[in-house]
Parts: sequence; C-alpha cells; structure tokens
Amino acid sequence: MLKVDGLTKKFGELVAVNSLNFEVKEGQIYGIAGPNGAGKSTVYNLITGNYRYEGRIEFDGQDITGLPPYRIAKKGIARTFQVPEIFPSLNVQETIRVGSRFGARGGLDKKHSDEVLNFVGLEEERLQHAGLLNLLGKKKLMVGAALATKPKILMLDEPMAGSNAGEIADLMDLIKKINQQLGITVIIIEHFMKVLTELTETLLIIESGRMICCDRPEIVTSDPRVIESYLGDSYAEDK
Amino acid sequence: MSLKRMVVILVGFYCLMGVMPLFFGGTDYIMNILIMILIWAVVASCWDVIMGFAGIFSFGQVAFYVVGAYASAILSVSLHVPPVYAILLAAVITGLFGVLVGLPCLKLAGPYVALVTFAVHMTLVPFLRGPMGRAIGSGGAQGILTVPPVSLFGMTFSSEHLVPFFYLTLFLTIICTIILVLVIKSYWGTAFLALKDSENFAASLGISAFKYKLMVFGLTSFITGLFGALYAHYVGMLSTRMLSMDVFTILMIMIVIGGIGKYPGVVVGAVITVTLNQFLAPMGMYRPLIMGAIVVVLVLFLRDGLVNPIIRLISSRQKAGRTGEYLS
Repeated sequence: MLKVDGLTKKFGELVAVNSLNFEVKEGQIYGIAGPNGAGKSTVYNLITGNYRYEGRIEFDGQDITGLPPYRIAKKGIARTFQVPEIFPSLNVQETIRVGSRFGARGGLDKKHSDEVLNFVGLEEERLQHAGLLNLLGKKKLMVGAALATKPKILMLDEPMAGSNAGEIADLMDLIKKINQQLGITVIIIEHFMKVLTELTETLLIIESGRMICCDRPEIVTSDPRVIESYLGDSYAEDK
Repeated sequence: MSLKRMVVILVGFYCLMGVMPLFFGGTDYIMNILIMILIWAVVASCWDVIMGFAGIFSFGQVAFYVVGAYASAILSVSLHVPPVYAILLAAVITGLFGVLVGLPCLKLAGPYVALVTFAVHMTLVPFLRGPMGRAIGSGGAQGILTVPPVSLFGMTFSSEHLVPFFYLTLFLTIICTIILVLVIKSYWGTAFLALKDSENFAASLGISAFKYKLMVFGLTSFITGLFGALYAHYVGMLSTRMLSMDVFTILMIMIVIGGIGKYPGVVVGAVITVTLNQFLAPMGMYRPLIMGAIVVVLVLFLRDGLVNPIIRLISSRQKAGRTGEYLS
C-alpha cells in the first residue's frame, strides 16, 4: 500500500534519512522506533510532503513523490503530530469538520464527522474550544480530525508520549478499533516497546536515518543490533 | 462571535449611519467625518480579515489603499476612462497587486511577512515621486490634482455633493461588508483560522496554504483598492502624503480598539478613531502623540479591544439576570 524507496533527506551536512526502504501492507499496524534524533518524525514529514527529498514514495499504486501536504492528505494519508497540534480558534466539532470539509473526497460529510466524534469519544466536548482540552483530549481530537478525512493510512507520531498508564490503554484501544473496525492501515512511531510489541505486526528500527532491522516485533526486539543501538542490555535481561 | 450577533451589530451600525444625513446633511464637516468612517471601516475590516483571521501580518494595507487610489486616478486622468470603470479596474489592479505581494509571503512567517509588506509600502513613495511614477502619470511629488468626480445615472458624486457621495459609499460599504461576513463565516473563514492556528495541522487535513493565503491577499487588496479608488474621486487630488505613518497609525488604532480578529469590533474602532482624529486635529503636533499613547494603553490593558469586553459584560449581565429569574 505504501512503498518507500531510497528515501534520503539531508539538512546541510546532516543526513537525517539515509536511503531508507520499507513497505507497509494494507490493513497492517506498522511500527517505527529508534533512538531520539534517529529520523523517525522526519520520515513522516517526508511521506506527508513537508520537505523535499531524494527517493520515491508510492501510495496505492500511485507515485506521490514531491506532492504538497494538502494533496497527500486528499490522497488518503492522514497523520498526527508528536506535540499535539490543534486549532485553538475552533471548537472540537469544527476541528473534526475541517478534516471532513477539506481532506475527504466529496467534501463536508456532517454525518460522518459526528460518527468520528463519537468514535474518538469526544461527543461530550463537541462544543468545547480545542485549546481547553486536556492532553488526551487533544490527541483524540487530532486523531478524530485525521479520521474525518476518510484516510486509507493513519500515521501516528508518538501518540503515547506524556500519557499515564490509563491513557495509554485508552489510546491503544482506540488504535486497535481504528485498524480493526474501520479497516484503516496504521503506522505508529513510538518509544514504548510494550505498545509496539502488542500492537504492531511489523516493526522498523532506524538509527541515524538508516534501517537497522525490520521484522516481526518479537524478532526485532531480540536482534543484537537493536539491543546494542536502541533497547540496551537491560531490556534484553528484563525480557 | 456568532453570526447572529455579528449581523445585529452591523445592521444596527449601518441603519444608524443611514439616517445620519437626515440630521447632519447640511453640515459638511460632519458629513465628511461620516464618509471617512465608512471608507476606513471597510479598509480596516480588510486588514482585520488578513491579520486577525488569516494570521498574516501584512503591513501593506495602506499601500493597497494608495495603489487603488492612484490606479483609478491615473486611469481616469491620463487614459480618460470614465470614473466608474476606473474605480472597478483599479480594484482589479490592486487585487492582482495584492496577489503579487502575497506570493513571496507564502514562504515567510510572522515578522518577515510584516517586513516584506511594509517594504512594499516604503517603496511606493520613491516610485510614485520618481521618474517611473511620473511616466505612468502619478504626477511625481506634486501628485494628481484633477481627479474627476464619479458620475452615475446623471448624478455627480464628489466632495461638492456630500449626501449623494455618502449614500454611494454606504451602498458599497454594505456590499463589501456582506462579502466579508460571508467569507468569515464560510469555509474560507474556517480555512483562514485553521492556517493561522497551525499551518502544519491544517495542511495535513487537506487545506492548501497557497490557495487560501493568496485568496485572502487578493480579496482584501481588491476591496481596499476599491475604497482607495473611491476616496481618490471623493477628494479629487492625491499625493504621496497618503503613505505617511499618520495614516498607517490611524488604521492600526482602529484595529486595536476593535480588537484584532474580533470582527466587527474594527467597525466600531473606525468610528471612534476617525471621530477622535478629527477632534484632535486642532492639537497639531500633539495629535500623533495622543494617538500613539492610546495604542500603547490599549495594547497593555485591553488586548481584546474595547468592543468585545463590553459585549462580554452585557452578555454576562443578561445571563446573570436570567439566572436570577430562574432562582426567584
């Protein structure tokens, strides 16, 4: 469904992403992990057209290389951000409808927007200003707005960051529902290995913009290269 | 602000303005103030849309106003285009000029947009006064002294005929206000707000920053150019003094009094500022000092402007009154 081929991004002398290749299959939950500064969020920014890059990205059989972010959104690739991005001027319902009005094919679908609002569990906050939501609410709102675009792929950037155990469980349930009930392919960047091993079918580990390993989570977490460069010995011992 | 409340304020304002000539039709001084209130209300509203709603710190509003004024004056004086058509053409020219100015601003943010647009403002003075300006008919340092009045349906609209000109301005003001309200409350307005709040998030949801930013530049400069052109045919003479910091400051005070992004607060801001500016005129050099002090005080103590806190106060009193009724 999403094929990344030879993806390379340089910021001056720094090679943030270096000849990265991977493929996400339809219906998968695909994980991406790696140390801080490994280039994970940059990969998202490249796929969603925020930066120019070398290489080729194919989505749903179409070449989407070099398309601007708003056109990528309309193609069916939605994303969230590591630090929640919201529209403080709009309320929850209006924010969800922005996704539907501008991102979905066919324009504003109020019924679908209301369904999304219920799906992410923000129906009681529908008229609340987005800026007044707590962190979990803001994350759910980002996911809701992304779902309102009727995406084929949802890319989540560290959705669990800053969440407590209860919120993590809540968000994991939401991600499973998105994948299983809505049939949306999910890519997730995350540091919590427990979340990745429980949710994902394939896990890609990158370091300094290069792929170290890509396989099933149980194989990846046992790989000596991954333990050495990312997980550490204590993780292997605990395991 | 809700559409209902917005419409109530605007309808109330324009109805009040509409009956003013019945009382002051014979007083040229007041009629002139009323006409300038109408013109500045729209120009300041356009600035509020681009800055307050779209979050683009464009400081080119006065430049667009002057481009509209000069374009219409040059078209009618040098090319003998009838003033009505000259005004419309000038609005189109200013709209295109606005899009042209908007293009380099697409890649810039915040203070850099302010710098680029203000640079456009600053370059207009030497351009209009210099040989290039004279070549296109700007009149150089002297300006244009014989801008013809608007003639329509056998009537003449100029500073010599204040009541007809007032109603022509009121008509255009209402049309442009309706357009601005429709834009603010339509999905365009939502796109502007979304781009202002978070351009990355907005783009990830399918909003084209390129399209909507150029739209807002085009629309606001078109309307501003229209009123600049109308002003040129009202006063009959133009000079580059229009580009002085005085005009820029007055426009800024209107927005600050009304509250940035608190439309239609800026309309009330225009009423207060134009009136105050006229009454402070005898104070000479102290007038800009007082106006500047007003900006400082408002920015420090009333960031939402004067209008919104008053509306909030009225709303909270009404709610308190209702609560009292339920409890009694």
